[in-house]
Amino acid sequence: MVYKKILVTSTGEYLDQIAKETMELIADWDTDVIGVYVVETSTPFLTPKKVKEMMVTELTQRGKQVLDAMEEKFRAPNIHFSRILKEGDPADEIVKIAEKNDVDLLVMGTGKSIVDKHLLGSVSEKVVHSAPCTILLIRTVSE
Amino acid sequence: MRFMLWIIALVAILIVSLIIVIKAADIFVDKIVEIGGIMGISEIILGVTASAIGTSLPEFGSAVMAALFNSPDLGVGVVIGSNIWNIAGILGISAIFAGTIRSSPKGLTRDGAFTLLTAFILLGFMYFLGVVDIYASIIFVIVYSIYLWILIRDQKKEAENDVKKEEIKVKPTEQISYHPPEEKKKIGFGMIAWSLVGLVGLIVGCRLLVYSGTELATIANIPQMIMGLFTLAIGTSIPELVVTFNSARKGLHDLSIGTVLGSNTFNIMIGLGIPAIFMSVPIEHLSYTFDAPVMIFVTVLVLLLIKRGMKLTRVDGFILALTYITYAVLRIYVLG
Repeated sequence: MVYKKILVTSTGEYLDQIAKETMELIADWDTDVIGVYVVETSTPFLTPKKVKEMMVTELTQRGKQVLDAMEEKFRAPNIHFSRILKEGDPADEIVKIAEKNDVDLLVMGTGKSIVDKHLLGSVSEKVVHSAPCTILLIRTVSE
Repeated sequence: MRFMLWIIALVAILIVSLIIVIKAADIFVDKIVEIGGIMGISEIILGVTASAIGTSLPEFGSAVMAALFNSPDLGVGVVIGSNIWNIAGILGISAIFAGTIRSSPKGLTRDGAFTLLTAFILLGFMYFLGVVDIYASIIFVIVYSIYLWILIRDQKKEAENDVKKEEIKVKPTEQISYHPPEEKKKIGFGMIAWSLVGLVGLIVGCRLLVYSGTELATIANIPQMIMGLFTLAIGTSIPELVVTFNSARKGLHDLSIGTVLGSNTFNIMIGLGIPAIFMSVPIEHLSYTFDAPVMIFVTVLVLLLIKRGMKLTRVDGFILALTYITYAVLRIYVLG
C-alpha cells in the first residue's frame, strides 16, 4: 500500500522514533507529509487568566520547535513537508485536519503507559475512534 | 435544627467566598497588568510580577484580613499551612498523576534557594523574637524585592536569547514584511472599573473567608491555627493546585515547580510581611517548634528528591503525599 498524503503528529516526545518508522514506510515514494502540533488550550476552572495565556505562549513556542525538528527529520527529495500549528483539543483538531486535508494515513505515538492513560486520558485513543483514515500507532512506551 | 442550618450556611459562605477570592484576584491582576502595559511598564516586569503574585493573592488577602480583624493565628496558619500543602500536597498529587515533573537546574537553584532562605528567615524571627513585627516585615519586603529583581533580570536575558535565535532563523527574504502601526490603547473606564471590582471582591471575599473560618473553628471547638493550617490553607491554594497540576500534565515542567516555589516565597515575604506592618503578629509555640520546621523539612525533601535526576517521579509524589498526611494526622490528632 502506498500512502500519498501522511499526517504526522507529535508533542515532541518520541519524535525520533515516530519519524524513523514513518520514513521507513515512505521509502522512495513521492509523499506529502503534514506535520501537526496542537496547542492544548483547555484549562480547569479557576486557572488565572494570565497563567493560561502564559501556558498557551509556551506551548506555541514548543509547537514551533517540534515542527522545526519534524521538518528536519522529513527532509528528503521525495517528500514534500508542510506544517500546521493549531490551538484547541488535540484529538478533535487532529481528526479535523485529517478530514480537511484528505490524508491517507495518520501517524502518531501511543504515548503513555497504561497507568498514565487511566490517570490522564489518551489523545491517541480518542483519535482511533473518530479518524477518517488508516492510523499507524507507533508503540512509544517501551524505553 | 437552627444550629445545623447555621453550620451549613457557614460552610456555604466559606466555599462561595473562596471562589469569589480566587476569581477576584484573577480579575484584579489581569486588569492591573493591562493598565500597567498601557502606562509603559515593560511586559517582562508585568509578566513576572503577575505570575509571581497571581496565584498567591488569596493567601495574602486572607492573612491581611486575619491580622486586621484580630485573628493573627489564622493568618500565620494560612501562610505556613499553604507552604506545606503547596510542596507536599500539590507537588505530591501532581507528580502522582502526571508521572514526571522535570526541573531545570537554574530554576531549581534560584527558586529553591529563595524558598529555603525565606523559610529560615521566618523561623529565625519566630524563634528569637517570638513575633513577626515591623522590622521583620521590612526585611521580608527587601528580600522579596531582590527575588523579584533576579526573576525579572533572568526573564530579560531569556527574552534577549529568544530574539537572537529568531533573528538567526529568519531568512533574508522573509524579513521584508509590512506591519501596520498598532493603535495605541488607552486606559478606559471599563479597565479601572473591573480592577476595582476585582479589588473589592478580593477584600469582601477574604473578609467572608476569615469570618466563616473563625466561626466554624469556634463552633467545632478547634484552634484557629488548625483552621488556618488546613481548611483555609488548602482552599486558598486552589489556584496553585490547578496551575501546578495542569502545567505538569502539559509538560510545562518549569512552570509547575516554579509556581509552587515562587508562591511559597511570596506567602512568607509578602503574605506575612505586609500584615506585620499593620500589627505585630504573635507566634504560637507550636508554630516554631513544629509547623515551621516541617515547612523547612518538606522544602529540603522536595529539593533533594528533584536534585537526584532533575525531576519528581510518581514514587516521589507518593513520598510527598504521605509526608503531608503524616503531618496532618500528627498536627490535628496528636498535637492539637
